[in-house]
Amino acid sequence: MPREIAFGDALVPGLLVFFVLALLAMWVFDSLAGRFGLYRFVWHPPLFRVAIFVCVFGAFALFLN
Amino acid sequence: MSTAGTTSRMPITRQALAETMREEASIWLFVAKTLTALFVAGWIAMRVDLPSPSTAMITTLIVANRQSGLVLAKSFYRGLGTFAGAAGAIAMVATFPQQRDLLLVALSLWIGLCAGGATLYRNFKAYAFVLAGYTAAIVALPVIDNPPGVFDSAVARLSEVLLGVLVSGVISDVVFPTRMRDVLRRTARDQFAHFIDFIRASFAGTVPRGAMENAHLRFVRDAVTLEDLRSSVIFADADARARSNHLRLFNQRFMAASTTFQSLHHLINRLKRAHRERAADTLVRFYRPVSDALDTPIDAGVAARVLLPRLVAARNGMGASRATLRVELDDAQDLRDFDTGASLLLRFVDELHDYIETAASLQTPRVIAGSVERVRFDRGNDFLGAGIATLRTTLTMLALGVYWIESAWPQGAGALLNATIFAGLFATIPNPTRATWDLTWGYFIGMVLGFFCNFFVLTQLEGYGLLVAGTFPFIVTGVALMASPRWAGLGLGWALGLVYILAFKNMQVYDPAHFINDAIAQIVGLLAAAVSFLLIPPAIGSPWLRRRQLARLRAQVALAAEAPLPGLRHRFESVNHDLISQVAAQTTPGSVDSRALFAWALAVHETGRALIELRHDMARRGVPSTLRPYLDGALRDLARFYEKPDVAGYLLARDAVATAIAGVGEHGDSGHLIEHLHLVRMALLDGESILAAYMPDAPLSKEIAHAS
Repeated sequence: MPREIAFGDALVPGLLVFFVLALLAMWVFDSLAGRFGLYRFVWHPPLFRVAIFVCVFGAFALFLN
Repeated sequence: MSTAGTTSRMPITRQALAETMREEASIWLFVAKTLTALFVAGWIAMRVDLPSPSTAMITTLIVANRQSGLVLAKSFYRGLGTFAGAAGAIAMVATFPQQRDLLLVALSLWIGLCAGGATLYRNFKAYAFVLAGYTAAIVALPVIDNPPGVFDSAVARLSEVLLGVLVSGVISDVVFPTRMRDVLRRTARDQFAHFIDFIRASFAGTVPRGAMENAHLRFVRDAVTLEDLRSSVIFADADARARSNHLRLFNQRFMAASTTFQSLHHLINRLKRAHRERAADTLVRFYRPVSDALDTPIDAGVAARVLLPRLVAARNGMGASRATLRVELDDAQDLRDFDTGASLLLRFVDELHDYIETAASLQTPRVIAGSVERVRFDRGNDFLGAGIATLRTTLTMLALGVYWIESAWPQGAGALLNATIFAGLFATIPNPTRATWDLTWGYFIGMVLGFFCNFFVLTQLEGYGLLVAGTFPFIVTGVALMASPRWAGLGLGWALGLVYILAFKNMQVYDPAHFINDAIAQIVGLLAAAVSFLLIPPAIGSPWLRRRQLARLRAQVALAAEAPLPGLRHRFESVNHDLISQVAAQTTPGSVDSRALFAWALAVHETGRALIELRHDMARRGVPSTLRPYLDGALRDLARFYEKPDVAGYLLARDAVATAIAGVGEHGDSGHLIEHLHLVRMALLDGESILAAYMPDAPLSKEIAHAS
C-alpha cells in the first residue's frame, strides 16, 4: 500500500485510509463484544477498547511501505 | 425527644456534606479532564503542524461534558457534521469560484437549510445539521479570494476537528469515566418502581385529578429523559447499544400503559362524581386482584420477573370474576358502565404485562440477540417552523454579508462567521436570546482576560509547558463555570472567547490592533445573532408553534378516525409520544401551557385509542349495513370537532355519538362496539376535562349519568 493514495487527483495519506478502516474493524468488534457481553470480563472497558484500537491500527499501519 | 431530633439530624448533615463533596469532586474532575484534553489537543496539533491548533482546542471545549457518553455522542455528530459541511463548501466554491456575491447567497441558503433541518431532529442530530451549515462557512469564507485553496482549507478544518474530537473522546472515556450506563440503569429502574408504586397507591384510594395529572406529567418527562439518555449512552457502551431497541420498546410500552391507566382512573372518578357508586365500587372490586398482584416489594435486588406470574394469575382471576360481579348489577346503565370499565381495565392489564415483561428482559444479564421487535418512531414534525429557522438564518447571513461587502470591513468574515454559528446553534433551544446574551458576556470576559494573558503573560514565556502554565489561571474559572447548570453558557463563552482570541499557533503573533479588531468583530457577530432572534423570534417555544402543535395533536383524533387501519395503532402512539416529548422539552414544568397541552393530549389519547379499537372491531367482525352510517357519522363528527373545536362542533359530535350508541343498542348482535362508543361519550361529557370549555352549559351530573 503506497503512502499516499490519489482520490480524484487529490492526494490522501494512506494512513488516513487505514485509520478509517481500523475504525470500521473496531466498530464490528465492538458491536460483537457488546452483543455477547464480553466486556463483562474486562476491568476497564474503555481502556480495553483504546488498547484494542491501538493494536488494530498499528497492525494495519504495517501494510504501509 | 430532643436527643432523638439531634441524632436524626446528625447523619443528614454528614450526608449533605458528603453529597457536596462528591458534587465538588465531580466538578473538578470535569475541569481537570477538559483542560487536559484542551492542552493535549493543542500540543498534538502544534506537533503535526496544523494551520490553526486553536480549532482543535475549541472542539475539545465544545464537546466537553461531565458524562462520557455525551462527549462521545456529541463528538460523533460533530465529526459527521464537519464532514458534510466541508463537502458542501468544496462543492459551492467549485460552483462559484469567481462570483463572490453568488457564493455568499449559496452559502446563506445552505446554512439556512441546515438550520431548518436541525429543527426537525432531536438531540445531537440537530447539532450535526447546524454544524454542517456553519462548517461550510468556516471553510469557504477564508478562501473567498483564493478559491483553489478550498480543498486545503477543508482538509485542515476536518483534521483539526477530528483531532479535537479524538483527544477528548479518549480522555473522557478512559480517565475516570462517569458511567452513564449506571445513570441509565438507575433511571429505568426508578421509572419502573415509581410507576408500579403509583398504580398500587392509586388503586388503594382515589387521587384527585390535579395530582393525577402531575403524576402523568412526571411519567412523561421520565420517558423523555430515558429516551435522551438512551440515545447518548449507546455511543459509550456496547452493552447498552445491544439493548437499545429493548429500551425503546420499554419506553413505548410505558407510555401506553401509563396513559391507559389515566383513562381508567378518570373513568372511575367520573362515575363517582355522577353518584354511580355501585358501578364504580364493582369496578374497584374487579381490579382488586391487580393491586394485590402488584403488592410485593420491588427493590433493586428483586427482578421485575416475579411480578409476571402474579399478574397472569390476577388476569385469569379477573376473567372469572367478571361474570360473577356482573350478575350483582341489575341496572342496565350500571352494567354498561361496568363493561366499559372492565374492557378498559383488561386492556390496561395486558399493557402492564407487556411493560413488565420488557422490564424483566432488560434486567437479564445477557441479551438474546434480535429477540426484540424493532420499533420505528414516526415523528410529529412541523415544517413551517423549520421554514422560519431557514429564513432567519439565511437573512442574518445575507444582511451581514452585504454589510461586509459594502463596508469592506477587514474583520467582517469573523463577525459573519460568529453570527451564523450562534444563530444556527441556538435556533433549537427554547430561550435563545437569553442564551446568546450569556454567551456574549462570557466571550467578553474571556477576551478581556485574553488580552492580559496574551500581551502581559505569554510574551514573557517560552515553550508549550509554560504556555499551559500561563493560560491555566485565566481559563480555569470559565471551565469550572461550564459545569454548573446556571452559568454554563457564560463559562462556555468565557473559555471559547479566550481560546479563540489567543489563537495559538506555532509562530504566535502579537498584534494588539488586530487582536482588538478581531475581538470587536466577534462581539458584533454575537450581538447580530441576538438581534436576529429578537427580529424573527424562534418558532420553538413560541405560542404560535404551541398552537400549531396543539392543532397537530388534535388532528391525531382525525387520524385515528379516518386513516387506513394497518399499523395505525402504532402510528398514533408514536406521533403522540413525539409531540408530547417536544412539548415536555419546550415548556417549563407546571406552566399553564404545558398543563393545557397535557390535558389535550389526554383527551386526544383517550378518544383516539377508543376510536381505533372501535374501527378494529368494526373491521374484524363486520357491521350491519343499517348501522354503518351512524358509526361513520360519529367518527366524522368527532374528527371534525377535534380538528376545529367549537361549541357547535361539540354538540354535533355529542349527538352523533349518542345516535350511534342508540343505533348499536337496536342491533343486538353488535354489542361489542358499544363499550368503545361509551368510553368516547364519557370522555366527551367529562366536566373536568379540557373539553368543558366547549360545553354549552355546565354539565350536570345528571347528564353524565345519562351518558349511557
